[in-house]
Amino acid sequence: MIEVKNIRKKYGGKTVLEDISFTAEKGDITCLIGLNGAGKTTILNAIMGLTPIQSGQILINGEVLHKASYEKISYIPDTISMSPQMKISQGLQFMDDFYSSWNHKRASELLDFFSLSENERISRLSKGNIAKLNILLGLSLDVEFIIMDEPFSGIDLFSREQIAEVFTSNLIEDRGVIITTHEINEIEHLIDKAILLYDGTVLKEFCTEETREKEGKSVVDVMREVYQK
Amino acid sequence: MSKYIKLVHFEFNRFSNIFFILIGITIVSQIISVFTSANNYLGNVNQMVYREGMTKEQFIEQYDYMSLHQLTDSVWFVGPIALCIVTLLIYLFFIWYRDWFGKNSFIYRLLMLPTSRVNLYMAKVTTIMLLVFGLVGLQLLLLPIENMILGIIVPSEYTMDLPVYETFTYRYEFLVKLFPKTFMQFSVYYSVGLMGVLVLFTVILFERCFRWKGIAIGIIYCILSALVFTSPLIVQSTFLDNFFYPIELLGLIVITGLIVTTASIMVSLYLLKNKITV
Repeated sequence: MIEVKNIRKKYGGKTVLEDISFTAEKGDITCLIGLNGAGKTTILNAIMGLTPIQSGQILINGEVLHKASYEKISYIPDTISMSPQMKISQGLQFMDDFYSSWNHKRASELLDFFSLSENERISRLSKGNIAKLNILLGLSLDVEFIIMDEPFSGIDLFSREQIAEVFTSNLIEDRGVIITTHEINEIEHLIDKAILLYDGTVLKEFCTEETREKEGKSVVDVMREVYQK
Repeated sequence: MSKYIKLVHFEFNRFSNIFFILIGITIVSQIISVFTSANNYLGNVNQMVYREGMTKEQFIEQYDYMSLHQLTDSVWFVGPIALCIVTLLIYLFFIWYRDWFGKNSFIYRLLMLPTSRVNLYMAKVTTIMLLVFGLVGLQLLLLPIENMILGIIVPSEYTMDLPVYETFTYRYEFLVKLFPKTFMQFSVYYSVGLMGVLVLFTVILFERCFRWKGIAIGIIYCILSALVFTSPLIVQSTFLDNFFYPIELLGLIVITGLIVTTASIMVSLYLLKNKITV
């Protein structure tokens, strides 16, 4: 389980996260929803130790993030996390060299699935293919948790469909997923938990299934209620 | 293979193209300088001694013996050394900033590697040292070869029979600093160089952690480091009126140097572990 406990972050004198708390269970897809500047990416960066927080605590399976945690949790940022000078094959080799959890077979399968060429230089990839490569790099690690930042942002329809297909596959099953997205429609039916953020605070946290069954409301319905109040 | 070694290998490979180009330029340019300088010299010998009847002794008095020290005046010879120095100085910054700037966000991956961030830092430091020693080593290898070529082209009565090193460093003091004669000098000069690199890395990390505020903190850190390092010299010349013997002064400078080096490593590692932001 990933536990985010009362985290607070200031940047340039402005509070960008204020007392954020939530949990993400293994086997669930937890979605952070919010407008631009709500703090979604900052939360993910903080979970991965890529930006410092002023107070609060983040635990992964009860432990504070440490070097071995990166074999348990993988991050798919909305920007390419591999050197643009590399070819895709070199990027895959780099992952294989440094991560014992790297699953070479799965990487090959995903390479075929996304129709990416190993000889392609990363700097020459389109935005859609960069998103696919990022997903490949993240999902080819045998980790317990995956966190994704805006995987559908700014990419073409067909790439979006391919990425959405990954969500319904066994690649995601049994893992804990935290995702941020604007394109809620693509994955609304897959989300287990939604966390609505606004200006660095949590406005509402709810289980989608429960809300659907008890109140008959979809995630979008709840978003309308909360954000258009 | 340990992840530190893998990171060093990786970092070195990222610069290897430029490194080998620098090596190529240095070899070609310096060999060209050997041939052009030797030919010019022989041209002068032909003109002055054989056509104008100057004696050999008069010629040597006016033009000096031909040896490596004559080469150090040539742009073809010193140019590649300067090019290597400037390139490495730029790379001191680039080795960090290349992972953040432009389309590049490779820093995400580097910071998420399942290894201590100490390795990341040490790999960059080691790579810089390897590049420096690689180029210094190349120059030291080239010198006897160049001297040998000179000896083949120029008749022995016009060459000076002095050790290669003496003739090479004869004219310019900076060449003595770059290519020290004794192990002791080598240790002192290159330790100071390493300390400078570590202070600069700390400044860069301050900037990466706190951006504009970090630049100010970095500059203050830089000034403080310089003050601490040179404090024995300052105290000696201002308050103590040459109280310390030179060896004692050297000992004190070694201590302050170690303080600055250790502080830079500790601060850098703290920043990299706790304050760095993508």
